[in-house]
Amino acid sequence: MQYQAVSATGYYYNCIPVTRHHYYPTVHAVDPLERIAKLVSQNAVVIFSLSTCCMCYAVKSLFSGMGVNPTVYELDEDPVRGREIERALVRLMGNSAVVPVVFIGGELVGSMDRVMGSHINGTLVPLLKKAGALWL
Amino acid sequence: MASHHHHQQLQYSVFPGYNPPNTGYINQEGSSYDFGELEQAIALQGYNKAHGDENKLPLYTTVPRPAATLDMFPSWPMRVHQTPRASNSSTDSGSAVHVAIANTPEMHSHIEPESPISGNGYSRKTSSEQHQQMLRQQLQHLHIPEQLEMESEGGSPVTTGGSSHSQQTPKPFSEKRKGIGSTSEKPVDTKTQRRLAQNREAARKSRLRKKAYVQQLESSRIKLAQLEQDLQRARSQGLLVGGSGVSVGGSLSSGAAIFDMEYVRWLDNDQRHMSELRKGLQSHLSDNDLRVIVDNFVAHYDEIFRLKAVAAKSDVFHLITGMWTTPAERCFLWMGGFRPSELIKMLIIQLDPLTEQQVVGLYSLQQSSQQAEEALSQGLDQLHQSMVETIALGSVNDGVHHMAVALGKLTNLEGFVRQADNLRQQTLHQLHRILTVRQAAKCFLVISEYYGRLRALSTLWASRPREALIGDEDLCQTTTDLQMVQPPSQIHFSNFG
Repeated sequence: MQYQAVSATGYYYNCIPVTRHHYYPTVHAVDPLERIAKLVSQNAVVIFSLSTCCMCYAVKSLFSGMGVNPTVYELDEDPVRGREIERALVRLMGNSAVVPVVFIGGELVGSMDRVMGSHINGTLVPLLKKAGALWL
Repeated sequence: MASHHHHQQLQYSVFPGYNPPNTGYINQEGSSYDFGELEQAIALQGYNKAHGDENKLPLYTTVPRPAATLDMFPSWPMRVHQTPRASNSSTDSGSAVHVAIANTPEMHSHIEPESPISGNGYSRKTSSEQHQQMLRQQLQHLHIPEQLEMESEGGSPVTTGGSSHSQQTPKPFSEKRKGIGSTSEKPVDTKTQRRLAQNREAARKSRLRKKAYVQQLESSRIKLAQLEQDLQRARSQGLLVGGSGVSVGGSLSSGAAIFDMEYVRWLDNDQRHMSELRKGLQSHLSDNDLRVIVDNFVAHYDEIFRLKAVAAKSDVFHLITGMWTTPAERCFLWMGGFRPSELIKMLIIQLDPLTEQQVVGLYSLQQSSQQAEEALSQGLDQLHQSMVETIALGSVNDGVHHMAVALGKLTNLEGFVRQADNLRQQTLHQLHRILTVRQAAKCFLVISEYYGRLRALSTLWASRPREALIGDEDLCQTTTDLQMVQPPSQIHFSNFG
């Protein structure tokens, strides 16, 4: 499992002090949905999670048990951008209890129930293989 | 003894702060509460009232701490409290009483190992006897205070009986009695007042004991009325099937009660679907007709999962602890219901003949459900660990905050039960997809029959013949004796276990 800071480098073209973001959010901030799209395209399996959430632990455990190595973004470990992403995910999912949210191959799979449903009906493993997260 | 034990438990429930260490005392009394004392206490109250309560006011105004007033069965620790109390309450004879009671500790130092004994210099024979004797003496003393000298010389038969008893162990009374004869020139008032003070003490204790007992009776009467109400409600709702099919707790939350009612109706529907499937298979219906029956069955299970989701919002503990199921089901419960992988395991054997593709499909279904179950179980374990930490590490200062955090964590339980039910539902749907209509019909019939048998097992277990138990009692007796005689061997076993 790889944990990455949400603040991926390469977004900002000039070095701007962090404090300035508070005053000019619209000028320098990147749309969180775009950021999500960028993040999920970088890895085969991406999980947005909270370090304290037990259901997130369950979904991570599910993927580990299958031999998959997902990329996990803990939204509570990044105070500023985490909340933005969380809000964006709420809009995306249309639900308030949002994490864990799973993306496979850049596509949204959904929350825990969708992940388990797709595993039971046999669509999860082919999806993982297609994304290159699982080799037989 | 069963009723007595219940009586004991009732006492604890009535006095939540009360922590009687002297169960030995209670056992000494015998198998039933000593009504004789109470009658005498009531009579004593009458006498006290007749003589006016002005003598007693000093005692009443200095009501001791709650622990002392609820001291129905005064024990060794309580005696320490009595000393200051007695010195507060009595006036001139205060010092004398103080001395008398202070004398008792060393008297009792050799008696203590045998049994916890109430203060005030009671002897070591059975406490009820002591109390009756005390009360009799008090009655005597209060009724005829002017006859103290006669009594002191051992005139009345009651007190001679008492004094003969008291000769076994040093008692203030006996001392006084003998002492009065020898020290007649000493102020008799002191000793008399000391005795009167002790009488008052004992009388007050009896009164308090009576009040406590009456309170107990009232509360258990209310509880009984509530239980009867619940029972009637449950019977009218058909929740009690054959007396032991589904047990109803004393108090269900409304969400739990509603769910239980719906579940009973669902069980009736289940029977109906099962008989339809059986008839459909036996009568060799066309596939289309059978498909309707099978689809209805799947919808029937979707219904219970929907009901459980609603119930999980209002009372998740009712679901997750399996209080809605029979005991046999509850014993093997996983996250508030059946374990899908176990169901598949059971079905694979019984669903021959299957095509190879179907076999592969079933085995992969079994594996994926197993993986999902494992993930959910680990998630629940993580929740448990987190809760243990939250509850254990809450300091006194953050007490409230930690409880709030713990409450927040508990809300996650609903999510786990819902995910587990979702898993069950998806498993049934996948079965429906893998199997042909006929196979699905047979499969669902097998499932219904299996759970029907498991439920019936609980009923049979509850109503198994009692003669077998009676025959085993002697056996149990010997085994317990063996256990008592050989405790070290048990310790060895636990090391290996």
